[in-house]
Amino acid sequence: MGKQYEIPLGAQHISLLEPLHFKFTTENEKIVDTTANIFYVHRGIEQACCSKFKFRQVSFVVGRVCGLCSISHSTAYSQVAEKLVKIEIPRRAKYLRMLVIELDRIHSHLLCLSHVAENSGFEALFMKTMQYREFSMELLEAVCGNRIQYDFSIVGGVARDLKPAVGQMILERLKKFKPQLDELVDIYENNWTLSLKNKGAGAITKEDAMRLNVVGPFARAAGLAIDVRNETEDLLPWKEVGFEMVLDTAGDVHARNMVRLHELYVSMRIIENIIARLPESALITETKAFPDGEAVVRIEAPRGELFYYAKGNKTQVLERLKIKAPTFSNVSAMVEAFKGNEYGSVPAIIASYDPCLSCTSR
Amino acid sequence: MKRIETSIDKVKTDIRDFYNPVLHHFMVINAVDLGEKIEVQWFFCDYAHPCEITAFCTQIQPDIEIPSIRDIVSSAWVAEAELVDLMNIKIENTPKGFVLEPDFESGPLRKKK
Repeated sequence: MGKQYEIPLGAQHISLLEPLHFKFTTENEKIVDTTANIFYVHRGIEQACCSKFKFRQVSFVVGRVCGLCSISHSTAYSQVAEKLVKIEIPRRAKYLRMLVIELDRIHSHLLCLSHVAENSGFEALFMKTMQYREFSMELLEAVCGNRIQYDFSIVGGVARDLKPAVGQMILERLKKFKPQLDELVDIYENNWTLSLKNKGAGAITKEDAMRLNVVGPFARAAGLAIDVRNETEDLLPWKEVGFEMVLDTAGDVHARNMVRLHELYVSMRIIENIIARLPESALITETKAFPDGEAVVRIEAPRGELFYYAKGNKTQVLERLKIKAPTFSNVSAMVEAFKGNEYGSVPAIIASYDPCLSCTSR
Repeated sequence: MKRIETSIDKVKTDIRDFYNPVLHHFMVINAVDLGEKIEVQWFFCDYAHPCEITAFCTQIQPDIEIPSIRDIVSSAWVAEAELVDLMNIKIENTPKGFVLEPDFESGPLRKKK
């Protein structure tokens, strides 16, 4: 047995987007053990939502939980609140929620992919991916009024309608993005240098993904078929607009890249179908009811299953709001997947987890 | 959501009898401060029937230690560590200080008396 060294990484580190601390025990550059501390940014949002804000205001508060998947939080909260006040939202609002969720998924996946490229030492690909991502930010601004933190889903429906000209612009920009995505798939799949870094790195098996209850692209890249869009037809009709699950089997960084890239094709198809089949109806269902009872909702955020639990007590203020972010479910697997890897692969592996500490700590 | 009411003595046995990692997805553990008591809820869903969410629920006195399920669900340690810090619940073999700093006020999600 060689000499073991403990190497800390974080909480502030050039390869990390958010504060996150790992301590790696290494032997001859191979990682034999890892500990993690991920809770540096606890902001007390759950408590604020149950004390300082009325239940209709909470959708704007939870939209601030995360800058990247803001729409997933505000939609999940709106859905759980709608269950508590017992209303069904108009079909047009459901379609528009799905539209923004998928636009959001495009920008989030491309951000993750660019970060993997950067942490793998491929800066040119990082810049190319970020350049191609910009269209999705511009489309989100055109649809919602903001590039991030959209305030689009509200209790009862959505805050803005989709103008026909914006719908047309989305279709044109998606058409332009398609060959760019083909180019990215070709590079991420076939580039020899990137393959050396990413193939086999940070791999987990399907059995481990099940045992550790992994969610999102992290799970699907290991062959575990879990995607909330496949499951919650009652709240948002994903299959109506062409959802298909993307799976891989290798479970490594390369497989995660591939799952995210191929999910972008699915997102594009969903967006095109939504615009083609957008129902005519109101945007919001009004109600004067106060939340009562308890309810849970799951939604597929870009990083995986986002879970909301809410309990009301027939007043304006919720009794309890619980948010479980996708990264929270993936912490155990994140720690285990480092074992046996070279220390030099750590930055790319972390980026491929696509961790969101703002969501996790709340 | 299917609620399964259980007791603090039986909850671990009930979860052990129910949980199969190939069939079930563990989501999270939640706690609701009811005033005199705290309700603890263990959430699972079924891979084959994912819309069916099962919650094992039990009400406890705030000073009672609840059993850890990490020997049944190996990823549950994160949710247990969170409850210990945010709800000031005692959980078997789970120290404070993973989510909040050890010197932070315990149980910020508990209701103020």
